[in-house]
Amino acid sequence: MDRFTYIVGGKAGEGVKKAGSSAANLFRKMGRKTFELDDYQSLIRGGHNFSVVSSSTGDIYSHYMKADLVVNLDGRSYKIHKDHLKEDGLMIYNSGDTEDGDGVGLPIDELSKEYSKSDLIKGVAGIAVLSYVVGMSKDELKKLVEKEYSRGVEENISFAEKIYDAAEEKIDKKFELDEGEHSLPVFSGNQSLSLGASAAGLDMYIGYPMTPASSILHFFAANKDHLKVMPVHPENEIGVANMAIGATMPGARVMVGTSGGGMALMEEAMSLAGMSESPVLFVLASRPGPSTGVPTYTEQADLRFALNQGHGDFPMIVASPGSIEESFYLTGEMLNMVWKYQTPGILLTEKHLSESSMTVDLDPSKVEWASSKEFEGEDYKRYEVTEDGVSPLKFPPSEDVIKWNSYESDEKGITTEDPEIITEMHDKRRTKDETIMYDLKEINTVNEFGEDGPVIFTYGSTTMSVREALKVGDIEARVVQPVYLRPFPIWEMDEYMDEDVIVVEQSSTGQFATLLREKCRIVPKTVIRKYDGRPFEPEELAEKLKEAIK
Amino acid sequence: MSEELGTGAENTWCLGCGDFGILNSVKNAVKELEERGIERKNLLISAGIGCHAKIFDYLNLSGLYSIHGREIATIQGMKFANPELKVIGFGGDGDSYGEGLSHLIFAAKRNADITMIVHNNENYALTTGQMSPTSVEGFKGPSTPKGSIEEPINPLLLMLSSGASFVARGYPGKMKHLTELIVEAVEHEGFSLVDVLQPCVTFNDTYERYNESVEIIDEPAETRFEAMELAVEEDRVPIGVLFKEEKDVYHEKVYPEFNPVKDKISKEDRLKRIEELIKGDE
Repeated sequence: MDRFTYIVGGKAGEGVKKAGSSAANLFRKMGRKTFELDDYQSLIRGGHNFSVVSSSTGDIYSHYMKADLVVNLDGRSYKIHKDHLKEDGLMIYNSGDTEDGDGVGLPIDELSKEYSKSDLIKGVAGIAVLSYVVGMSKDELKKLVEKEYSRGVEENISFAEKIYDAAEEKIDKKFELDEGEHSLPVFSGNQSLSLGASAAGLDMYIGYPMTPASSILHFFAANKDHLKVMPVHPENEIGVANMAIGATMPGARVMVGTSGGGMALMEEAMSLAGMSESPVLFVLASRPGPSTGVPTYTEQADLRFALNQGHGDFPMIVASPGSIEESFYLTGEMLNMVWKYQTPGILLTEKHLSESSMTVDLDPSKVEWASSKEFEGEDYKRYEVTEDGVSPLKFPPSEDVIKWNSYESDEKGITTEDPEIITEMHDKRRTKDETIMYDLKEINTVNEFGEDGPVIFTYGSTTMSVREALKVGDIEARVVQPVYLRPFPIWEMDEYMDEDVIVVEQSSTGQFATLLREKCRIVPKTVIRKYDGRPFEPEELAEKLKEAIK
Repeated sequence: MSEELGTGAENTWCLGCGDFGILNSVKNAVKELEERGIERKNLLISAGIGCHAKIFDYLNLSGLYSIHGREIATIQGMKFANPELKVIGFGGDGDSYGEGLSHLIFAAKRNADITMIVHNNENYALTTGQMSPTSVEGFKGPSTPKGSIEEPINPLLLMLSSGASFVARGYPGKMKHLTELIVEAVEHEGFSLVDVLQPCVTFNDTYERYNESVEIIDEPAETRFEAMELAVEEDRVPIGVLFKEEKDVYHEKVYPEFNPVKDKISKEDRLKRIEELIKGDE
């Protein structure tokens, strides 16, 4: 069997996410590629969480919601996922919490009772059942549990073996999965982008917890001594962004991360970064808004918000990765960008990209080490007017006086209200914006997938959904994914202007479609939108695309 | 006075403003710090927005002219990036005790190794004299034409209860004393606050009040609690170091022996460490 999908569901506190990530590792060890989506609610105990892990011997860019194996750790999970089983799939329910279910009931409640963490341990049942049905031996299961569940390992192994025995007794179905040829690691989007920034020479990560960006802060906190990237968790997002600006002055490469609400608080500092020419990289990991919205789900409704950050005119770079792999390379590239041009940048992601995990091929040696134009000579002027608008940097401690300013200032950084200097400095920043655009023309700013067929525009994590939909629906099309969104690569758009374009995005008002119209007069024939907080499901999206192409 | 510390920028403070006394005290303090081995190039300054902040343009020192209340965060970023720098933030009362109050409390809480000098003139002068967090009850300004109906906050009490490891109060009318306070604050390893009672000749002239009521205290209080009692005294206004204690500073707790900018690991070393994470437990 090539493609295989496993769903595990239960209450928060029953180890559901771990049962998902362990499964991803199980598939990975079979040389298969995997994609894992964790669907969880904004709560700590109860409710319903589930993880979907789809895997294949070839490329896979999305989870599927029709599963071959569903393991339900509680009754609610069974009711929710009844409809998520393939016709020939296997449904496992907790016989202690579900009466007369279709499929196979296992005494998960009864068996877990005797363990010290009787709730948390339930997730192990997911991995035990999966191991059994894919033909792993009890010994192989033991090794897997030892690796994945090292805390309280003896109880975990004991419980896993009991579930395995129960499965052996009651389940008469097995799945033969093809082995793949890959040996790639599994990372989430946030882990991948954190590694990418590290590979570009990041010195400091500053963040205030907010889903779905928090796991970036967790990553750097956990790897503080290994990577030597200083993690800081200040009082609020305003503190975050202003500390970051301060840290860039002595030369630290700094990244900050948040979601929409936190970005709104950082916006004041974003404008300061624009004026003072501070190279700060902001990660904006979107979730459904407005306001608190739906904190742990996904949406692409912060596009306009990202593009229009900060009061006043100043150069800014906004880019959005279309895969977890790309988030590694693009974040490294963006850290280079902000240092090259000394201006703020935003890496725009969504929950679906930040917190989903997949097998990725990361090569740190391909990431450039962020550097800047440095001053040599005498009579240093922080805001020296230059041909390309970029003034050379000098870092304190220095015998020269180095003044950065939030006010309009002269070349030396002394506050000014002089009309000629104000004009001159605006022109300097505008020149820098033109330099950025000129340089972007030399690099890849738009990804294109597919040779022939109708044109589908998309961006961000939705790119993964579209690519998987085309694969599963056997649809021939050209996918166009602008990676850079500001400056928008209009120079790459000529060939699409006369096409019947389809847009796929996760915003209720079609923000991306209106951006295409505004920037390059592309008026889409169809805009496929989804705004229920859930990412597109490839089979469903394939149907919609077929209809649109008809 | 050390003229070479000026920038040549035109000074636009009102004649008689308490800010002149602060500026001169800072200049003298910089000279004194140099005598004590702290090089001028290792000083980095920041300021918020308000009359106080114009000091940024008047001091020929490196730094970043920040925004209202955020200089407290700005200088912490500078310090964490390169701990060999000594960072000084200038704030106003509306700035540090209002808009940026959360940053101030948390800087004290984490004992960030920074010095904040707050020009406390008990009003928003640059925006034409509105009431501020430290304006006395009854203060008349354009936003409170019949007098403020709010009680002022006591910044020293607030800082003492936030864990500040150095809390002082100075007065530009006692410039030599103020200079000494600034020197001691900058030398102190940890969070230092110098609240400066700054008369504002245009909107809140407090010279007479403070000339009569300030009294220099020679020794800091023994305990934080006794310092709080000093901070709330009403019949006199004690100036000097109210409280001082040694405790570990934030950046050294994160990395005891590592300066993120100066000791940055090489690209090869970093990539090797990343490869290790990527390979994981293979």
